[in-house]
Amino acid sequence: MKEFARRMVGIDRRVIFLLIAMATLVPLLHPFGLPIKVSPEVKAIYDYIEALPERSVLLLSLDFDPSSKPELEPQAVALLRHAFRKNLRVIGMTHWLTGTSLADDIFLRVAAEMRKERGKDYVFLGWSPGAGSLVIAMGQDLYKAFPSDYQKNPTQGMPVLEGVRNLRDVDYLISLAAGNPGIEMWYVFGKDKYRFEMAGGSTGVIAPGLYPFLRSGQINGLMGGLQGAAEYETLIKQKGTATAGMDAQSATHFVIIVLVLLCNVFYFMLRGETGQQRTPG
Amino acid sequence: MILASLLLLLLLLLEAPALAAISAPEGFLALDTPNDAGKSLSLVWKASPADRAGRSVQVWMAESPDAPFKKVAEFPSNTRYVKPGDFPWWAQPVSKGDHYVKLASSQAFPIEDGKPYFVKLLVREGDQEVWSEVAEATAAPNMFNTAQANNLVFVVAFTGILLASIAAARRNPHVHLRRIAGLDAVEEAIGRSTEMGRPILYLTGSGGMDEVSTIAATVILGEVAKKVAHYDTGLKVPHRDPIVMAVCQEIVKESYIAAGRPDAYKEDSNFFITSDQFSYTAAVDGIMLREKPAANFFMGSYFAESLLLTETGASTGAIQIAGTDSDHQLPFFVTTCDYTLIGEELYAASAYLSREPVLVGTLRGQDIGKAFIMSVLVLGTALATVGVVADTGIFNYVLDLFKDFK
Amino acid sequence: MIFLKRQLPLAITFVMGVAFAFQYYIPHPISEEAITSVSKWMQIISGFALALGLVSVFHVHWVKVKRQVPGWGYSLVLFVATVVTAFVGFRSGGETTVDGVKTGLGWLYDNMMVPLQGTMFSVLAFFIASAAYRAFRARSSEAGVLLISAVVVMMGRVPLGQFLLPWSWDIAQWLLNVINSAVRRAILIGVSMGSVALSVKIILGIERAYLGGGRDQ
Repeated sequence: MKEFARRMVGIDRRVIFLLIAMATLVPLLHPFGLPIKVSPEVKAIYDYIEALPERSVLLLSLDFDPSSKPELEPQAVALLRHAFRKNLRVIGMTHWLTGTSLADDIFLRVAAEMRKERGKDYVFLGWSPGAGSLVIAMGQDLYKAFPSDYQKNPTQGMPVLEGVRNLRDVDYLISLAAGNPGIEMWYVFGKDKYRFEMAGGSTGVIAPGLYPFLRSGQINGLMGGLQGAAEYETLIKQKGTATAGMDAQSATHFVIIVLVLLCNVFYFMLRGETGQQRTPG
Repeated sequence: MILASLLLLLLLLLEAPALAAISAPEGFLALDTPNDAGKSLSLVWKASPADRAGRSVQVWMAESPDAPFKKVAEFPSNTRYVKPGDFPWWAQPVSKGDHYVKLASSQAFPIEDGKPYFVKLLVREGDQEVWSEVAEATAAPNMFNTAQANNLVFVVAFTGILLASIAAARRNPHVHLRRIAGLDAVEEAIGRSTEMGRPILYLTGSGGMDEVSTIAATVILGEVAKKVAHYDTGLKVPHRDPIVMAVCQEIVKESYIAAGRPDAYKEDSNFFITSDQFSYTAAVDGIMLREKPAANFFMGSYFAESLLLTETGASTGAIQIAGTDSDHQLPFFVTTCDYTLIGEELYAASAYLSREPVLVGTLRGQDIGKAFIMSVLVLGTALATVGVVADTGIFNYVLDLFKDFK
Repeated sequence: MIFLKRQLPLAITFVMGVAFAFQYYIPHPISEEAITSVSKWMQIISGFALALGLVSVFHVHWVKVKRQVPGWGYSLVLFVATVVTAFVGFRSGGETTVDGVKTGLGWLYDNMMVPLQGTMFSVLAFFIASAAYRAFRARSSEAGVLLISAVVVMMGRVPLGQFLLPWSWDIAQWLLNVINSAVRRAILIGVSMGSVALSVKIILGIERAYLGGGRDQ
């Protein structure tokens, strides 16, 4: 038995990789569809958007690149569907150069689905260098910061930007961020100065670090990872890739928990032995 | 008797409209909005027990007393009060609980700086209405935001403490610093590498030279390089930032000179790979798998690449020491590395190893700042709690000193 | 030369640092215009930094190819990939879609950039599992607490866990909103003080590592 435990403690990593791969693939092929519980921090974003009057201005900053697409694209899609359903005017942009095309694709797809028109119902401004400096520039004069949108149409005179001179005229800002520049930068250079309300969406790994901002009211809502996107899809009653992915995530979490518990069982079985060695994986 | 009752009833009926009559707002004033960039006026007036939802207040403005007035705002009379936390006590335009309305320049009624405007209120309830006196005010931009005076005082005070701590450390550099566990392992790691004849891999993180963690990482690199020079062990420092690379090149060169081994210094020990996150990670993983360094140091700020780096390093059997202030990556470092310096331990490590008065003094200054914050937290919580229990606002004079007002 | 390398940058840093530290407390439009102008300069410099990064990459890898150091083949691949992408990008006018049709640049982005970046990031899922298996052992009481918290949060954050152990959701929420917030706040305060201290030292010229070269007082 101890020999078995010893072998299991030093098991080849590839066996673990295989188990994780199976745990991810099988539920995608055969989903089991469990109900998703909505957390107060995600509901806060939904409630705020629900309360906005028609034609209010929502600025959606898609601050991520393709590596974070699986977690943040579903958040962006769910938010856009909600915003378009509420007939809000959506301004899109990104602080991540490598995510520009991805962000534009998201806007195009959802706008086509919701029959919204570029220039009239939404605009995607694209990327401009500067991060915090760009936010300050937008806070003074949006048209100087972005004289044209991603499609090179002049922003001055666009129906969707009517009455919007700078960030003070934005009713709600949501930053979907995979790191820096992201939510903290939008708060420090944006909300703190220009006093708009804002919320955040992030990858699962950085979400816990944003809870102090949520608790102090610096952001009024937070969507964390694929779970956050799935909760939002539940709220807008339109399932998407996040809900589909939650089964795989559930199974993967379960497998990791079982592995960790098993590892501890084997560890305690071997604990009496002397000479702990560092075991390469 | 009946006549007396009828007379009393008549009197009551005559009095009734007078009892319900609305009065003009008391203490109505118009003034320049304090602590702003101009083009804005503020209106203040006293709260009244008669304020209620069914009674509305309209704000009318004109550019001269004879010009036609224009309605610019309307709201229920039981709204727009000054609440605790709106203004600090030293920059309060009106008492708490009274009315305060800010009128910013708008397309409907533009407000220019330096030009007088005339404002009056109309209080209306049902068929009744009453006008206030006309008040005059001129908007102007302000040179200093007095509401943030406390913030400025704290910044100046902290700067003073920092400078004093650095000066004290320059006079006496032997300030006690708590021993950090991970630092003992640095010698062990370098010794292990020398015995095995394998190089040391040192990463300075994703940040630039404007980040505290990168500066701390470069200082620790200097100390590690001195030991490496002494033992003649190989050192590899791949970089993501060209400026950090240039700085590290100089630091490593000076360390070799300081250790008396300028001949052993290799120019290409510091090399640039790429700025792209995952391309850099893939390249470093390749170095780890091919060259199998005996010790890996991960110092600085990291993002998603942290686990990719450390798990690959762990698979090669290297001893791994990490230090970062990126709290979102700490769990990954803790699980995969032998020693992890958390947050400020990284800054302290650089001070501990180098004993440079600037670093030691800065650490002491930060510790004093943190002690102050902790004291304020305890005191503030106690005062706020007592204030709520005793239903008194007297402690707000102290609590406001530590709040952030805009 | 020493004036240009040391004293002038230090003087500029001091003047601009003090000016824009005080700018925060001045609401006057002059102050707002100043910060807007400087933000524009920063944006322009950030644009130049991209070019600088490109030049650095080319220089380093060109040297590797020229000297044929071990691994020089990868440097050659980098050159070819950069040239091809730049050529395709210029031909596409920098656009990824034109009238709803994907351009060459768009094709490269969708079929190379997105899958490659996604692959690198998704490797993390496997590495997390193997790291957790290797490291999450209850060696001490603290490690035991960490282990139990990790299990509860992992269960509470997915529908399967919420279904099997309904209370795990409430405990996970409490851990995230209370314990996690408190600890993160403490680290944030400490790190922020470090950043403020560094900024003060840079502005006052005490810290000069950013100028390059060795440390001097």
